Amino acid sequence: MLKANTSLSDKHGDTSVSGEMPAVPMVLGANDKDGIPGDQFRELKEASEDEGELRCPDGSDLMAGEREDASLFPPAAKRLKRNTKTEKETKEKVDEEEVQRMKILLSSLSEEQQNRYEMYRRSAFRQETMRSLIQTTAGRSVSQNVVIAMSGMAKVFVGEVVEEALDVCERWGETPPLQPKHLREAVRRLNSKGQIPNVKGKKILFF
Amino acid sequence: MADEEEDPTFEEENEEIGGGADGGQGKRKRLFSKELRCMMYGFGDDQNPYTESVDILEDLVIEFITEMTHKAMSIGRQGRVQVEDIVFLIRKDPRKFARVKDLLTMNEELKRARKAFDEANYGS
Repeated sequence: MLKANTSLSDKHGDTSVSGEMPAVPMVLGANDKDGIPGDQFRELKEASEDEGELRCPDGSDLMAGEREDASLFPPAAKRLKRNTKTEKETKEKVDEEEVQRMKILLSSLSEEQQNRYEMYRRSAFRQETMRSLIQTTAGRSVSQNVVIAMSGMAKVFVGEVVEEALDVCERWGETPPLQPKHLREAVRRLNSKGQIPNVKGKKILFF
Repeated sequence: MADEEEDPTFEEENEEIGGGADGGQGKRKRLFSKELRCMMYGFGDDQNPYTESVDILEDLVIEFITEMTHKAMSIGRQGRVQVEDIVFLIRKDPRKFARVKDLLTMNEELKRARKAFDEANYGS
């Protein structure tokens, strides 16, 4: 998670934003959403408050609260309330900036790039197919959240493999339509990084 | 070295491409062909990716899903696949972890928004 945080703050280059712990995970959340148009998501986020816990894994919410009021000494209840309010304001400001930046970026893309970006956001696995696959494997029915989580993970997985394969393709001095050999090499590389789950793997200890 | 690592993992794909009579993965209907093509284009491949590549990716995805399902069944509440188990399995992988958390959060918010909207309609 730390790695993800630093890369985002580098991207923004805005020290006031990256300096605050609660703000950065917000940005992380905003950046990573696919499948829901940006405006809709922003409205939803503003409509429902205090969703902070899920966006800041490892309880960094609590840490931020404690750190901020080292200098003030109001009683505990008031302290938390005040911090939530400033947190919310910073959240909204960061969202506004984020949305503005995305708009500028999107308008400066060529048509081909815009097409590709649209495909990137909209492509998804069909939930019915995913559900039947999981249920066949599990032997029993699964909840909706499981299907949602699994579809999201599978898409990220495809992204990792394709990106690695494109990297391989470039290194070998060849051009895009990806060929099976690129994909195989990509999987081999990811395998050694431990990105490919493999229960049947033969564990050889000392080589 | 590379061969040893490659062969066990890619046996299935080789058999399938050879059009083997295994009746296993080679004969199964393609579940995600259309979606995978769009996804590959979105992630940087050509607008018309090779069919063999799409097939390989589909096999990889199906293998990924079955592995995760089996792992999720073996931890937490045995024999069941629950979201908490999936999140636990993914904890070391920052991208997938963040993505799953985001999706679940958004889903909750959408449900809440829909519910509030329906109640507002019902009231009026």
